[in-house]
Amino acid sequence: MTAVQASAPVRPPRRRTVRRWRGAVPVGSVVVAALAVLVWHICSGLTFVIPSPAATVRALVRDLGDPGYLQHLQYTLVGSFWAFVIAVAIGLALGLLLGGSRWASVIFEPLLVALNGVPKIVIYPILLPIFTLGLGSKIAMGALFALFPVMTNVTTGVRSIPAVYWKLARSVNCTRTQTLLHIVLPALRRPLLTGLRLAVSLALVGVVLGEFFATRFGLGRVVLQAYSVGNYADMMGSIILLIAISFVISLVLWAFERRVR
Amino acid sequence: MTGGHGIEFSGVGVTFSAPDREVVAVIDVTQTIPDRTFVSIVGPSGCGKSTLLSVVAGLQRPTEGEVRIGGVPVRGPNPAVGLVFQEDSTLPWRTVTDNVRFALQMAGVSRAEQRSRAADAIELVGLTGFENAYPHALSGGMRQRVALARTLAAQPSVVLMDEPFAALDQQTRLLLGGEVLRIWSQTHQTVLFITHDISEAILLSQQVWVMSYRPGTIIDVIDVDLPADRDPAIVSTPAFNVLQNRVWESLRAESMRGFAQEERTGQGTGG
Amino acid sequence: MTTTAERRVPVRRSRRGSSEALYSTIATAGLLVLLVVVLQIGSVSGWWRSAILPAPSDVAVSAWHLFGTGQFWADVGRTTFEIAVSLLIGLSLGLLLALGFWKAPFLGRVLEPYLMAFYAVPLVLFYPVMIVVVGINAWAVIVLASVMALIPMAVNCWVGLAGIPPVYLKLARSVRCSPFQTLWRIALPAAAPFIMAGLRLGTVYALIGAIAMEFTTAQAGMGYRIRYLYEYYSTVEMYAYITVVLVVSMVLTGALVAAERAILARRGSR
Repeated sequence: MTAVQASAPVRPPRRRTVRRWRGAVPVGSVVVAALAVLVWHICSGLTFVIPSPAATVRALVRDLGDPGYLQHLQYTLVGSFWAFVIAVAIGLALGLLLGGSRWASVIFEPLLVALNGVPKIVIYPILLPIFTLGLGSKIAMGALFALFPVMTNVTTGVRSIPAVYWKLARSVNCTRTQTLLHIVLPALRRPLLTGLRLAVSLALVGVVLGEFFATRFGLGRVVLQAYSVGNYADMMGSIILLIAISFVISLVLWAFERRVR
Repeated sequence: MTGGHGIEFSGVGVTFSAPDREVVAVIDVTQTIPDRTFVSIVGPSGCGKSTLLSVVAGLQRPTEGEVRIGGVPVRGPNPAVGLVFQEDSTLPWRTVTDNVRFALQMAGVSRAEQRSRAADAIELVGLTGFENAYPHALSGGMRQRVALARTLAAQPSVVLMDEPFAALDQQTRLLLGGEVLRIWSQTHQTVLFITHDISEAILLSQQVWVMSYRPGTIIDVIDVDLPADRDPAIVSTPAFNVLQNRVWESLRAESMRGFAQEERTGQGTGG
Repeated sequence: MTTTAERRVPVRRSRRGSSEALYSTIATAGLLVLLVVVLQIGSVSGWWRSAILPAPSDVAVSAWHLFGTGQFWADVGRTTFEIAVSLLIGLSLGLLLALGFWKAPFLGRVLEPYLMAFYAVPLVLFYPVMIVVVGINAWAVIVLASVMALIPMAVNCWVGLAGIPPVYLKLARSVRCSPFQTLWRIALPAAAPFIMAGLRLGTVYALIGAIAMEFTTAQAGMGYRIRYLYEYYSTVEMYAYITVVLVVSMVLTGALVAAERAILARRGSR
């Protein structure tokens, strides 16, 4: 959610009795959203520090027409993309290792589990000199944020593979690679997708938080700058944009994840 | 009228309404279980046996008629009525003793009495030595003994058992059947026992009721004229066989009808 | 960590025997010692500039001095206050919300997309909005950290409550439990593994979020101090603060995981 996702969030329960309200639920959800926007609008009328929804949208539209702004956006998105890719690679490798090897898990798991609960932002000053003040340190930060959900989901995914699959692999004399390609990875696709979905927003948060200081580019800087000059409509617009991006990507991945059996 | 804690059903019917349809689960049950008698109900699965039992337990309101226990109409759960469920109802966060004294604790019985009554009930069901074990360390049969002990510790006058051994394997069923027989010969409560196993019903009861497929009603009542102090070995006697055939005759047509019905509607319902 | 598949893992591990737990402890301690030794040798023999990565011995000395300063304890107090209040608000509201969803499933259905959306939404990014509205103070952090704690708590508790075997509730009715007894003696213990998971996740999120927000902009707190020291090139002191934060949060996470495993182990695999 914010900086770390210990593992897959549980799904809210599904019950058969709910079928009765199939039509009413989406309506209710839309009403809740409309209410939220209305409350925002009313609050914006009470104090000048809160930009109204309309002002925010206007500011965002104006910003998106500005090439300079688009460059900041691109900077953030490219950073998040690489952070995501690196996080997935490392998270998958660590997850397979911890899930597949008992000794690796005995030796490394306690530390990795504990690291998962650590506010990784405090390591940022350490990363800065190592990965330079440019995009490198932001990518490192984003990757550090995002790799844990991938790792924990893959680890538990490997451990939840039914024992009979391993027996099957041995009975037909699979090589290690064959077992990995034809048994482990297919069996992992759901937990892996869950990990990917959670990693998206965390990679973005990591990069944007990194951009909150020691940088010249990125939406994080744009937000902070708008804050410091009191341009709250621009600030709000950028925040909404970032949240919308991670939300939409997560939603797409979630829809995909639910179709995968 | 029955004295003590007999159970009278008069015109009991239960209809479940969903927005699109109505299901008549139980219809027009008028029967009597005399005080201190062990009665079993057998019937095809989905016949409303469990619904009828829920009505007696006060967990389900009948849509027609009423049930009286000791002459008093059932309005809700009654402390004099003990219930043993089909599912595993032992609470995994409590030890055997704590599970057994659960009902007493809820009723506000003094701690010392909770302990002594729990100990007695645990001994009665043969779980001595497992007082401090957690349910996960026990087998399914032993957990059902814990549930039985919990019911007995409340010292009910009426015991309702809803297919208590359905989830267990054949050997454990026989063993626990023998236990129930032994315990009942000491306690002599009024018992209503639901099962779909004919020999289990005959082995345990003084009377077997056969229930029809939905809408469920009692279509046959068979007195079990076997000696009161029987033991499980009795299942191999000719007299037992005769009774078994007699119940099966009544049940067979209903089972076939239920089977055909479920085939047609394509739905399998639990009892 | 709360799908059934995941819940089975700790049980399986514990059955593997206490010798592995011992090896695990030894290995973890060994790794930490190794790390410290490498850092010490590396910085003393100049593998890297000690201005970037100071020697652990210097950091330890600095930490020791810090413990005697009022500044340090003021920062600890501020962060502790923020997290404690956030947990109090977030976790209790989360549980209440879950109870509401359990009793009124329609409400849960309607709010479900938003609860799930909060998992996907980087809440920390609202912090600048919060400081605009509330001001740069503890409450700006508390408001968001409470929401961060609330969401995993609400979702996990809801799942736990909705998954209570119906027979437990039937049992409660048959022995005529009062609503309070049903809640206290049946519903909450039955959902306890999920409630524990919610507590753990909520605590971790609030902790991580609070420190990240302090780090962004604040006037006090551990996260703020680390950034402040970074900007004033007080590297050794900064590392002392970072070490304290890492150690405290790792110990906290470890304790929560251990508590959760203890509950699960007592119940077996059910």
